[in-house]
Amino acid sequence: MALLDVQNLKLYFFTRRGAAKAVDDVSFGIEKNETMGLIGESGCGKTTAALTFMRFVKKPGKLVGGHVYFEGRDIATASEEEMRKLRGKEISIVRQEAQNALNPVLRIGKQITEMILEHENVSNSEAMDRAKEQLNLVGINEKRINCYPHEFSGGMKQRAMVAIATACNPKFLILDEPTTGLDVIVQRQLLMMINDLREKLHLTAIFISHDLAVIAETCDKVAVMYAGKIVEMSDVVTMYKDPLHPYSKALIGAYPSLKGAKRKLYSIPGAPPGLINPPEGCRFAPRCEYAMDICTKEEPLMVEKEGRKVACHLIK
Amino acid sequence: MKKDEILKIENLKKYFPMKKGFAELFSRKKSAEFFRAVDDVSFTLNSGEILGFVGESGCGKTTLGRTLLRLVEPTSGKITFDGVDVTKLSRKDMKKMRKNMQMIFQDPFGSLNPRRTVSETVKQTIRIHKMAHTRQEENDLIKSTLEDVELKPAEEYWAKYPDLLSGGQRQRVCLGRVMALEPKFIVADEPISMLDVSVRIGILDLMKKMQEEHGTSFVYITHDLISARYICDRIAIMYLGKIVEMGETEKVIHNPLHPYTRALITAVPLPDPEEELSDVPIKGYVPMSADQKIVGCRFHPRCPVGQDKCLKEDKKLIEVDEDHYVACTANFS
Repeated sequence: MALLDVQNLKLYFFTRRGAAKAVDDVSFGIEKNETMGLIGESGCGKTTAALTFMRFVKKPGKLVGGHVYFEGRDIATASEEEMRKLRGKEISIVRQEAQNALNPVLRIGKQITEMILEHENVSNSEAMDRAKEQLNLVGINEKRINCYPHEFSGGMKQRAMVAIATACNPKFLILDEPTTGLDVIVQRQLLMMINDLREKLHLTAIFISHDLAVIAETCDKVAVMYAGKIVEMSDVVTMYKDPLHPYSKALIGAYPSLKGAKRKLYSIPGAPPGLINPPEGCRFAPRCEYAMDICTKEEPLMVEKEGRKVACHLIK
Repeated sequence: MKKDEILKIENLKKYFPMKKGFAELFSRKKSAEFFRAVDDVSFTLNSGEILGFVGESGCGKTTLGRTLLRLVEPTSGKITFDGVDVTKLSRKDMKKMRKNMQMIFQDPFGSLNPRRTVSETVKQTIRIHKMAHTRQEENDLIKSTLEDVELKPAEEYWAKYPDLLSGGQRQRVCLGRVMALEPKFIVADEPISMLDVSVRIGILDLMKKMQEEHGTSFVYITHDLISARYICDRIAIMYLGKIVEMGETEKVIHNPLHPYTRALITAVPLPDPEEELSDVPIKGYVPMSADQKIVGCRFHPRCPVGQDKCLKEDKKLIEVDEDHYVACTANFS
């Protein structure tokens, strides 16, 4: 059984101009010890989807339908009290921009022990020792435990975020663009650290990013999201070698590489649609170079082909 | 100055005074310490060439770009543009010069006035530099500019406010208002770093089109080696205010000579899932301040091949191969 099983998840934001369908009928499963990447352009709903697993979405956002089974329990219908026990202990999140996610007036040690004391029945000094271990684990000297976040560099803040998120040995980790805004060298160091940690702690994770290269280096399988829907899902190697959906093709085709010969790249014309009134039929059709008549009328269903899932009228 | 050189930079320096403590902040006393954001940088830019400046945050690449256009005044050094020493020009002459020296900023959400429509934004630059004589000419110019940056049909975007545009479209407007002047030289400061992957290539292709059709020269500032490889003819790698390696793009990428360049290249993630994740050969972070305490090579504290002599001597750029320069005391001296 999958550790996290998402079925027909629908999350809309009810605005004055209408409902914005940020996550619309999304289904996938993540097995134990597996890392899934979620790629998409900004505004495609990938972060919203991830926040749903923590039930962090606030008004005007609302879960309209679907289920999120975590170890067989449905998060979508769990009570707030149950969720509080789950957050940090079972499911944890590393958010984008550690700069804003850390509390600027609390020492790092305090922010780590806060998490431990909330979930476990340990003394203050024990929690402090655990916090030091956590810092060593993410590659920060334990002497820095009494520092404030502003004394840390960008990369260190992000490491501290990982230390907090993994303090209670969660089973499932949500990584929401953890390396955005970092320099390449710091990014590589952080990715190496996260990869090590995942092996050490047997973590199952979902990695959200718009950076195809980062996903390629960290994930086992990958889902491509467009305008609130997953358009293609497969293991990472086949996806990059032979993408099926025109959007995945275009996304991979628009990504330059440092290796190999220089090649001509193509951008995708137009911009992603608004989520309040998405185009009828396939949402990618207005930007798709293979679009047919049926694409603007009928919504393509997710079909399975050689172990991969894709939603496109071209693939039968 | 050679014939096809459009820009020649000699020993350019920009030092920011560092004031320590509250008392010093308000005292009139000249500060004794300086932050060396750009330190002794020399290079030339040929007509119709795109030169990339690549480095991590804090390496001084943005300050360099701004200093080239005198948006910040250089501490010392010479900037020769089209045969004229720009550093000596008066404000009035500089304004005339600006028609040919333009800039594209990183953040298209902050660099466009939210209260001006697309056409008004373009109109503003046209009026400042008196590019059109009649209303009709002005409108024609705006229309052709918008079409040049592929905001077609122009009428659709004419009266739109930046709020209604996507990031990529906004950056096209920014490019358009610069393009209308047909400048000879543009500094593009991270023009694509805030945009989505799918629209980035479009902006780079527009820059390339300008280079090919109008012979515009660019200084392209970025932290992203991959995009630099895509459009640049030559690349310069910067570390703490200095150029450590400079040369023809493919030479620098495939045969990096400076240990810092090598580290940067290994750290770049590849869109290939079968590639093993390898550790970067250098440790630590960029030091927060490039103050005068560092003597010798600035990269020394992080360098995997650093030797004692690197502590004492800081090498200038030397030509090791045709059009491939490197500044490294340990390997090339």
